[in-house]
Amino acid sequence: MSPVRRFFSRWQNLLGLFLVTIFVVVAITAPWLSPQDPENPGPIKQVGRAIDFEPRSPQEVPPLGTLSSQISVYHAVVWGARSAVVFGLIVAIFTALIGTLVGAVSAYFGGFVNSLLMRITDAFLSFPIIAGVVLISQLITTTLHEAGLRFFKNVSSQQIFSNATSSFYLEEELPPFLQMLMNLDPVLIAFILFSWMPYARIMNTVVRRTRNADYVEAARALGAGHNRLIFRHLIPNSITPMIVLAAKDVGGMVLLQATFTFIGMGGNSPWGMVLVRGRDWIITQGGIFTYWWVFIPATLALILFGIGWNLLGDGLNDALNPRTQ
Amino acid sequence: MKTILRTLIVRLFSMLVTLFIVTALLYATVMFTPAENRATLYMPRNVSPRMTEEQLERMLDRIIEQHHLNDPYPVQYYYWISSLLHGTWGYSPTLQEDILSAIIRRAPITAELTLYSILAFIPLGLLSGVIAGSRRNKAADHGFRFTAYVATSLPPFILALILMAFFYVELYWFAPGRTSSSFGSFINSDNFRQVTGLLTLDGLINGRPDITIDALRHLAMPVFTLAIVHWATLGRVTRATMIDELNQDYVIAARARGIPEGRITWRHTLRNVLAPAFTSSLLSATSLLTGVFIVEILYNFHGVSDIAVRSMADTPDAPAALGFAIYSVVVVLILMAVLDLIQASLDPRLRERA
Repeated sequence: MSPVRRFFSRWQNLLGLFLVTIFVVVAITAPWLSPQDPENPGPIKQVGRAIDFEPRSPQEVPPLGTLSSQISVYHAVVWGARSAVVFGLIVAIFTALIGTLVGAVSAYFGGFVNSLLMRITDAFLSFPIIAGVVLISQLITTTLHEAGLRFFKNVSSQQIFSNATSSFYLEEELPPFLQMLMNLDPVLIAFILFSWMPYARIMNTVVRRTRNADYVEAARALGAGHNRLIFRHLIPNSITPMIVLAAKDVGGMVLLQATFTFIGMGGNSPWGMVLVRGRDWIITQGGIFTYWWVFIPATLALILFGIGWNLLGDGLNDALNPRTQ
Repeated sequence: MKTILRTLIVRLFSMLVTLFIVTALLYATVMFTPAENRATLYMPRNVSPRMTEEQLERMLDRIIEQHHLNDPYPVQYYYWISSLLHGTWGYSPTLQEDILSAIIRRAPITAELTLYSILAFIPLGLLSGVIAGSRRNKAADHGFRFTAYVATSLPPFILALILMAFFYVELYWFAPGRTSSSFGSFINSDNFRQVTGLLTLDGLINGRPDITIDALRHLAMPVFTLAIVHWATLGRVTRATMIDELNQDYVIAARARGIPEGRITWRHTLRNVLAPAFTSSLLSATSLLTGVFIVEILYNFHGVSDIAVRSMADTPDAPAALGFAIYSVVVVLILMAVLDLIQASLDPRLRERA
């Protein structure tokens, strides 16, 4: 059976593909599904008076009701899909790139280079990602602080920077380096820096196994250089496990980002923000389902996003790796 | 025994190498910030608030001079490491205390949570993996795979919300936080001897089983939240290996000799399944620690994660962030070494290589 046929022959794979497709379509069509507020763009949109404290139900404010302060749940969930897809893909692509490069280079050259790079990989492996997030955001904050910038956390745990002397947003007057630092998402950086190691390890094993294969020997005999051997022969032939791992990572990273948003450590996941604002309305006197719309849509979106990419990854693994059958 | 000792020494050595690389990389990252910022790492704890800007600046200059913060990287790294080894981890302005003592005071709380989670997920993960693998495509297998799938796709904070809604609000079986408020002040008083720092054990040592029971009630939800992901991962690995092993020749031979299926599963194959299972637990040691910190925050356990949370507040607090990072790495390395030793004692082939 061809890999494509094998992929489509299992219903789990179809379900995964279906879920992922839905999220991608929603992400692309977000401006049409839920137009932005031109004065205040972003995933948080007000559809009523901000002083109205109690969330309004979907019957009153279709389609999905509001959070407290009348923030539209539907808008946040739709734009959350865009943010999740973008975040997940960026992290997965960059980690896969770094990991593939490190793994391939170290395995190809072998010897001292290999043991050095693999020790570094092991060192990174023992570094918990939460410590990475704390460290990176502290380093960014410290540097900005030194430049006279103070930052505040607002309710939705987004960071707003302002000049120490005035509360205005002085974007134009900042040197480019600081401006870049200000726009960096520490969570994104930390996720990329501290999750490329599995790719490097897998790549390393695969390349070391294929390095001595006949077709590589043949290419070398024909006079192919280092670059050509690595990029034309070794990487294309060991890309399958990378793709599988990356597919699963897209879901996993978005779930982790939402978790960090929820515990107030940065990471501007809109789904996480909905849950941060909704958490006080979950446990109420009338039971947890009185205000079901404040948490069920965002929760479902998160879980389905995670399951979708996980199923897709498993499906790709089965289809591309005949040995696991 | 001798081989285990050798494994231990080799492990210890490679742990030191890893630690060296991590700290070197960490300090290289820290080097990106200006020297004045790094000087805050060595600020004494009692800086008078009445000091003028000029005095402060002179003090910073002195610190930069003293700790060679304008020197080349290897020199700076050397001074930084030696001050770490001497216990100078820096004074954290947000915690208002030395970072090392802050960590030491909170570590048992985190350790207790981690310990119970490991004690829960390793046996249960092995058990369900073996059962699911030996009854492939039966109801038990489908049930396990579905649960494991949901468990790995469910973010911990959503699980925490669900658990709290049912077990705390509706049933009032378990509660968030580390202790009930009625015990809080007693535990911190001098009448309660903190021997191990683990409340469940200290309760028994002090002859107060009610405190132990209370602590267990508060541990149930966080331990479950933390353990379930690792249970699912371990169970999956065990299941896959089990299926592989049951197709091996020695199993067929055992069947041919008429050995009952249950005995084959639990006696013959289990030993071979253990090694890959422990490798998977070994690799998830890092995520276990990240998980512990997240779970602590979710359930209001003021363990080591407290340092991370508080240092994320408004003021820059590089000592806290660095201390937290170093602590985390050291704990992960210790955890990995312990799991490695268990693995080596299970699989004789691994003792030689280590």
